[in-house]
This record gives sequence, structure tokens and C-alpha cells, in this order.
Amino acid sequence: MKKNVLKRVSALGLSMVMVAGLAGCNGSGDSAEIDLEYGDPDDKPDEISMMVDTTITEENGLQAVCDEYEKQTGIKLTFEKPDHAKYYEKVTLSFASEEPADIIEMGSTYYPELANSGALWDMTEAWEKSKEQAAQGAQGVNCVNIIDEDYIDALRINGELYGFPMAAGNGTITYVRQDWLDAAGLQAPKNYDEFINMLRAFKSRGGGAIPITAAGLLNTETPYDIYLREFYQDAVPDIYKDKTTGKYVDGFGEPACLVCNYLGIDAYQEGLIDAEIVTNKTSTCRDKLGSGLVGAFNYWAGMWSLKLQRSMNEGQLVAIPPIEEANGYTERVPTALAMSVYAPKKAAIFKYFLLYSHDGGEGQMLFTHGVKDIHYKYNPDGSCEALPYIVDPDNKVEKSMFAPELTITEWNDPIPLDPMVKESLEIYRQHRTFATVPVVNDTISQNLADLNVVRNVVVANAVTGKQTVDEAMQYYEEKGGYYANAILDDLNSEANLAAEAEAEAKAKSSSSEDTADDAAGAADEAE
Amino acid sequence: MKKKFNLFHPQYAARSWFVLFNTIFFILLMAVMIIPIYKIFCDSMVNQTVYGLNLLPRGLDPETNEIAWFNVIAYKRIITDPALYHPFWVSVYTTLLTTFLGLLISTLGAYVLIQRDMPGVKLFGYLLLFTMIFNGGLIPTFLVMKRVGLLDSIWAVIVPTSMNVYNLVLMRSFFEGIPASLFEAAEIDGCTPMGIFIKIVLPLSKAALASIGLFFAVAAWSEYFHYVIYIKSSDKYNFQYKLRDLFQDKQDASEGTKINVNTLKSAAVIVSVVPFMFIYPFCQKYFMTGVTMGAVKE
Amino acid sequence: MANNNDNFDHVIVNKPSIGQRMFKYRWFYLMFLPVAVVLLIFFYWPMLGVRYAWSTYKLKQITLRLGPDYSTGWGNFQRLFTSDPFHSAFRNTIVLSFFNLVFATVLTVVIALLINEIGNAWGKKIVQTVLYLPHFLSWVVAASIFMLILSAGTDATGADTSNMGFVNAIVAKIYNLFHNDPYVPIDFLTEGKWWRVVWYIMNRWKETGWGTIIYLAALSSISPDLYEAAEIDGANRFKQTWYITVPSLMDTILVVFILNLAKIMNIFESVFVLYNSLVYDVSDVIQTYVYRVGIVGNDYGYSTAIGLFKSVVSLVLVSASDVISKKVRGYGIV
Repeated sequence: MKKNVLKRVSALGLSMVMVAGLAGCNGSGDSAEIDLEYGDPDDKPDEISMMVDTTITEENGLQAVCDEYEKQTGIKLTFEKPDHAKYYEKVTLSFASEEPADIIEMGSTYYPELANSGALWDMTEAWEKSKEQAAQGAQGVNCVNIIDEDYIDALRINGELYGFPMAAGNGTITYVRQDWLDAAGLQAPKNYDEFINMLRAFKSRGGGAIPITAAGLLNTETPYDIYLREFYQDAVPDIYKDKTTGKYVDGFGEPACLVCNYLGIDAYQEGLIDAEIVTNKTSTCRDKLGSGLVGAFNYWAGMWSLKLQRSMNEGQLVAIPPIEEANGYTERVPTALAMSVYAPKKAAIFKYFLLYSHDGGEGQMLFTHGVKDIHYKYNPDGSCEALPYIVDPDNKVEKSMFAPELTITEWNDPIPLDPMVKESLEIYRQHRTFATVPVVNDTISQNLADLNVVRNVVVANAVTGKQTVDEAMQYYEEKGGYYANAILDDLNSEANLAAEAEAEAKAKSSSSEDTADDAAGAADEAE
Repeated sequence: MKKKFNLFHPQYAARSWFVLFNTIFFILLMAVMIIPIYKIFCDSMVNQTVYGLNLLPRGLDPETNEIAWFNVIAYKRIITDPALYHPFWVSVYTTLLTTFLGLLISTLGAYVLIQRDMPGVKLFGYLLLFTMIFNGGLIPTFLVMKRVGLLDSIWAVIVPTSMNVYNLVLMRSFFEGIPASLFEAAEIDGCTPMGIFIKIVLPLSKAALASIGLFFAVAAWSEYFHYVIYIKSSDKYNFQYKLRDLFQDKQDASEGTKINVNTLKSAAVIVSVVPFMFIYPFCQKYFMTGVTMGAVKE
Repeated sequence: MANNNDNFDHVIVNKPSIGQRMFKYRWFYLMFLPVAVVLLIFFYWPMLGVRYAWSTYKLKQITLRLGPDYSTGWGNFQRLFTSDPFHSAFRNTIVLSFFNLVFATVLTVVIALLINEIGNAWGKKIVQTVLYLPHFLSWVVAASIFMLILSAGTDATGADTSNMGFVNAIVAKIYNLFHNDPYVPIDFLTEGKWWRVVWYIMNRWKETGWGTIIYLAALSSISPDLYEAAEIDGANRFKQTWYITVPSLMDTILVVFILNLAKIMNIFESVFVLYNSLVYDVSDVIQTYVYRVGIVGNDYGYSTAIGLFKSVVSLVLVSASDVISKKVRGYGIV
């Protein structure tokens, strides 16, 4: 009895599927209803869960921070801290499993995407109501009085707020060796000619001197042009809306052609930019800086000014204002603390967690510096200082969750900032422009990651001279054209342009004039 | 067979040259197989930033500025840092659980499948085989895990690994080799099916149990991807996951400590390899039993 | 396996009624219950999910409790067939699997033949032990080892070999014998032209030794009479190998080749642990693409469609292998 076993196996298998399908479970909604209502801000929840990435580690006492929070507020705080490399996979998977934490730390790439998916609670109303309460002198909303509202606005998407800033987004600034400037008899450069002039002077020192370096050409997330803004000037390495035509243009493709306008190509080929700019990592740059090879270094403002200075054996590093043509330094969209739509008692979480952690007092101290006598201590003379890490006694605690130097509130931090950090931040903040939350839709999320891979290769090849500008453009068309066209077709579809115009009009009419101006201003800058 | 080794005697020369080259070839091949692991072993004992061609487990200790042999600072870190040793224990107990559950499912399934007169047994066989050639895919499986509430539970990793149709079929072919007369005799003695299973089938299949059990153990120890998609809590990651994390993390795992990051990575690789390195030479014959058993079937 | 399935078809004279037989085997049904439960929940239930392939199903559909939106019909498949990244993933899957299969077959057979020629029993045992060893390392470990020894280092000057991985350090030594300019280390894992080479080598390093077991078993079953007869006819060792050993292995070679052919769509973890965004164009395979679209990009409907396409191609390949197998050796592979 010879039979076609395969056929029988398949037939049986498939019929099993059918049977199971008929008997099956088609309904999708056995989960609890979501409560999107604003609710009572003083109806405290028993427990808040958070998912975090950049905070102090578990081994260094994250649990102690949570325990202290419970002591202060009576609310139990639990945390999940997945591994950094797969953080966003874990975030989206936790939403797919419908069991996300109540509060989720979210960088600017995923924040708009998840907001777009309806995964994040719109906290605009909660924010507005808190402002009203503060005006009436209510307790527990001090945050509203001391916060810099620019950071709130930086997180708005079409006027709606889906996350609360954790700390300033910060950006990069150009650091220059003061002793090298002095030796060349130069002042800090004010425009591109002086800038190039300075780099040439640095190069002429010889001995393998690297006039300027950075930890990469294109940043891996928006804003892509945060490193070495001096060489971008008006070129935009991203898709942007052309103001004259009102249509979206790819800064890389025709006619904008980033590589045609990117000044870094000539500078690199003249030997003014670090030869290893493409493969540089922070550690490599630091090593080169430490061995006294680097004249100028474009890197994050703030804490890094100190770290960089410390890694040098000789010489003095100063932060300089941007050159005229650079259009200022860019401030990233702040890292957001978003609230999941599944969270219970949202208004109360907003008040007791988000506002409380920026309250300028006990709460802010806990979320900035950690727990007294574990992460910081008061000396007998009344001064306050950070303690060493639990598992790493050679270094002192920098932050528990929010970086102190990037605070977004006006408060009296008992641990004073280092003057160098302060100075670089001051220069940076005078000249920064806020980036806006990147536009996100389905087509963009499908294609952008792949497109960025091609973009990185194109810039790297054009700059290092592996390909001529024409070859690089051809390569871009070939490998990236598919993705870029998909995004542009979608953004430039009439439906999308119309919807955008509508949303813009709505945002303008609903929010106060002030905010609208700021948002538009910031948008202009980003484009 | 002529076995004389003489490179110049006309009768033996060709064979002797071949033996010589064959020996050299295998010595080189073994070197190629072993050197990558050996090199990692050496690097795990050298706490410095330079490695290059060093092929000895020693190096300049930046602390003392002396040449140090077998510098185990990275291993000390692994056994003292809960973020590193906890995943190791997760690996150990998930491996034990998977092996036990896997053997249970395979033996029960195989024992039922050899009952030729049992109504529906063919259906069972086909149902099992069909899963080898078709599956629902990544996302549908994920959504089922979510529905049954196993997300972020180690059972989401253990159960699917335990149900391995290939191993079950292997076990069945082994059971088929047990003489039917034994079953009949036991039945006449009044043994229940469960009694036969425990008193006759299992004791006669020790080699198969060892062999298939080792397959399950290797699979469970090596498990990585299921942790990526199903496990969220950091206290449930296994050692493979943690190892991969060390390699992917842009933040320097050893920043601030005195251990070079590559030394730590190398030590973690060695730690994850060591358990099987120890048991493998003793169990090699069981592994081979399993493979040849499958080969005969095919 | 087919043989055994056919054995189920024993015809028993005077069969008891089905009810009686089921009663007789009642305890066996109970024993099969745990297997059946696992099978249904973890293998058959997910198969129902292939229907998502015809839906729009993203994070939005989950968070807003909308459920999959089936109005898209064949939309996901249309998108699939016009999508560049999918074409690239499909091509890579075929190329990587196929070349790996060819290399595997050639290398494994040759090495098995050579192992068979080792006269010293101890030597043979040691060689086998060492060659099988890498098989027991996980893909994560194998990839980690390769990343370490292939590292290009991060040294500033490039001329300094001390910071490179083992392989670059060796190449640098050789390069410096002939050149005066400093050697620029190769970053094997981020350069497209090297990535595939590394992947093939990693696969062969890990699996070649293990693959020889099946051939060694086949070799040991060749009757010694054949060799004796050949020797009397004056055939030397090479001729014996060529005219006796290789033909006797042919059946095994074909079987293994066919079985692996059926699995070529399944490559995943070995790529997943070794690839990175800079080499997607040469390394991205269907399964990794499914992962990126589904788990990273949260496009569950589309991801399921790609997975389903893969499963269907696999099914076709298995059927084809089955047909070939029947032609070649008289019975199928399932």
C-alpha cells in the first residue's frame, strides 16, 4: 500500500488548522478597557512601574532610588531596565504584549513613532491643568513654576504632548585647544574662512596633528547633522520640506545633493579632518585627544568638556561659539518620559511621578543625584558631594536618572557644577536651536532605517574619496532611491500635504500664539 | 594491509608520502579548529589593550607593570558581578529543565507512536511531522505566547525547545528496536502500559536517553533568540544573551573598572564554553549514537 | 521514515471494534495528552495566525484595540513582490545557503575520506574529537569568537599591529615584509566583500567536522571484501577510493544534499548574530528581514506575509526534495 505520505501529512495538518480555526478564538478584545480619561490627579496609585535605559544601573543602587521614592510618596516604584543594545525592541515588544510599564523612557527616534501608534497617552491636558492648579497655588505642582517650557514644547507633536522631558537633549559644541590657538596667534574663528584657516594652522604643526575630529560624520539618529555643523551649513542630510515649493525634498538626492554641497569633502581631502572620521568612536577620539594629536573636537557640551579635559595630559580645551555659517548648534529633542495608554490613574502618575521628579526639591534631588548616603552625602560643613559608585569605587555617581547639568528646571542643586561644564553649557545654550520631533508615518518607519544605512555609506565614500561625488550620487540612487522615493511619494501625496496644512492651522489656532511661533521657528531651524 | 612507513622504498613510497601529508593536513586542520578558541582563552588571561599575535596566557599587567601569567581578573569580575553570574545560573537551570521536559515529551510521544494498533496513532504521527515542514511564523507564535500569558516567562523558552519533533522521531526509531516479545511478556505478567514504559522501555533505552538528552542540553544551553523576543526582565536572561549583550552594547561594559573590555568579552566566551568542554569528551559516543541513529533512519 | 509509516498499515484479521481498541489503549491517550497539548498550543495555534498576512496589523491595531484590519487583502503580498529589501533578502538567502551547501558537501566528504585513511586509532579519535568540538558552541559564541579574532582594532595610527585582532595582526606581519607603508587593518565584518567570506568560514569551522559523522558511518559499512577484491586486481589506494569508496558514498551524499536543500530557506541565527546594518545588502536573509519588520518595525501583518511566503517556498522545496528522493532511492524524505 504505497501512499503519498507528504500529501497526507499536509492534508491532515491543514485540516487541523481549519478545525482549530472554526472552533477557534477570533475575538481580539479580552483585555481590560483602556482608560483615556484625565482622572483625579490626587487619586494616588499604589504602584508605578517604569522602563528605563540610561539611568544608574541595578548594581549601583537603582532599587534604592525606588525604595526612597516609596518612602517619600507612599507609592511603590518598580523598574525594568533591559539591556541597552535591544532597548527599543523590548519597548515595542512590551506594547505588543499589552503589558508595558506605566512610564517609559524614550529617545527621539521612537517617541514619535509610538505616539503615532496610539501607544502613548496624550498628556497635553494634564499639563495645562497643572498650570491652572499652579496658578491657584496648589501643592505638589511646583515643577510648573520652575521648568523651562521650551523643553516641553520641544516634545510637542502637532501641538500635542506625548511625553515629559527627562533632561535637556543637549547637542554638540566645538572644543578647541587654546594653547594651539595661542601658538598660531589666532582668535576663536567667527566664520568659515577663519575656521578653515585655523584648521590649516593646526595641520601645519606637523607631527601627525589632527586639525579636527568627531565621533562620526552622520549621527545615527535625528538630528543627523549634529556633528561638525560647520561643514553642513545650508545642506541638510535628511528629508525636509522646501519652503518655496511646499514639497518635501530629500537632502541627499537630486536636486539638493548633499554630497555636492558638503564642505567636509574638500576639508577631508585637504587633510583637515581626522582621516578616521568614518570609523571613529568616542573612545578613539578621546585617545587621540589624550595623546595630544587633536586640535579641535566636536562633541557633546556639558559633562564632556570636563571628561575631555581630564583625558588630556597637556593643553587646555575651550568651547567656542559656532561660526556664522553654521546656523548655530543644534539641540536634540529631549529624551522623554512617556506614559503608556494602559497606565491606570494617569493624572495622578503625571503629578506624583513626572511633576514630582522635577519639583526642585526632595523629588528632583532623588531623581537627579539618588539617595542620601548611598549616592551622595552632606559634609559636616554643609556642602554636598557625590559618593563613589557601589561597584565602581574609582568614579563618583554622576546621576541617578536625570543628568544634573542638563536639568530643565531652575533649582538649587546642592552639588555645584564644575565651572568648565557650566561654561561650555552657557556658550552652547546661547547659540543653540531646538530640533523638532521628526515627522513619522508608516512609510517612513518602514524605509528610513534602511535609507540611513545607505546614506552613511554614501557620505563615508564621498568624503574619504572612495567614490567621486558623481559616483556617490549614482550609488545613492541605486541603493537608496527605492527607500527615498517611497518616503517622498508618501509625504508629497496630496492627502498628506493637505492633512499637514490642516494640522498646522489647527495647532496655530489652538495653542497660545507664543508656542506656535516657537514651534514654527524651531521647525524652520530644523529644516 | 601493508603498513610499513618508508618514504623511499618503491613499494611503500606512495602510501607513505600520503600518510605523511595526511598527518600534516590533520595537524594543521586541528590547529585551525582549536586556535580561535585557544586565542580567546589566552586573551581572557591578559588584562591589557594590546593582543596582536600573543599566543600565551600572559601579558603586561598595567597595575603592577610586570608580566603576569594567568591573570584571572576578568573571571573574578564574572563570578562577583551579579549582572554576569546570575545569567549563568539561568542557563544552568533552564538547561536542566529543558532536558528533563524534552526527554519526557520525546519518550512519551515515541512510546505512544510505536503502538501500531492504537486508533488514531497515524494521525498523531502526521500531526507531529507536519510541524516539521510548516509553522505559523515569528509573529503569530509571539501573539500566541502573549495569549497564553507566557511572555517574559522562562517557560516561553523552555517549552518550545522541549518539543523537538526530530528528537521524538529519533526516540521512536530507537524504541522500535526493542523486541516486541518483551512487551508481550510484560503484558501477560499484568503490567500496565505505564508500568511497561517505566520498567522495560526506559531501562532499555539508556543510550538513547543519554544521546537525545545531550541534544536537548546543547540546544537549551545555546538558546538565544527566544530570549530576544520573549524575555523582558533582565533577571531572566541566560548567559548566551548576556554574552551577546556584552558584544553589542555601545556603552563600554568595563568603563571605569580596571578590566579591559576585550578581556572581559574573552573571559565570558570561555565561561560559556567551559561546561560543555568538560562533559563533551566523556559523552562523545552518545552524541555520535544520536547522529548515526538519525542517519540510519534517513 | 516512510517505511515506518507504512508499517502502521498492518491489516489485522478479526479486528476488534474501534471502541474496544480505543478502550484498550486508553492509558496511551492519557500519555499522549501532554504531547498533544504542547503541540496544539505552541505549533498549531500559531498556524491560525497566518491569516494576519492578509491584514494590516501594526502596533496601532493593538494599542487602539482595533484588531487586525483585513481590508487590505493581498496588499502585503503586493508590497512584498515590489520591495527592494525583500528581493535583496531573498537573493541573499539563496546565495548564502546554496554556496554554503556546496562548500559543506565538498569539504565534508573530502575530510571524511581523509579521516578514514588515518591508520592510527588514537590519532583518528583525537582528530574526530577536535573536529567535532566547534559544533557544540552556540552561534552566539561562534560569532563572538570571530568578532574578537577578526577585529580591526581601534588604534589611531593604523601602523601599530598590537591592537588588531589575531587575523589582522598576522596579515599585517606578512604585509610589512613586502611593503613599507603601514598596513591598514581590514574590518572584515563591516565590509560587504568580506562579510560573506567570514560567514562561510564560520559555518564551515563550526559544522564541517560534525558533518563527517554521517559519512564515516557510511564508510564503515562498506564491505571490506570489495577492497580485498580490488587489491587482488592490482588497484592502488587512490583507485580503490575512486572506484569503490566514492560510489558507495554517493547515496549518502545525495541524501544529505537533498535534506539540506529542503532547509535552505531556514538560515537565521548564524546570520542574525554576525550581521550588522553596514552589510545588510549582502547579509540580510528572509528570516532576519522578518525579524526586523515584525519585531523592530512592528509591522506584524507584513512580517507574517513574508514569513508565510518563506514557509510556502520551503514547503515546495521539501516536496521537490521528496520527489527527487523517491526517484533516487525509492522512498521519500518525510
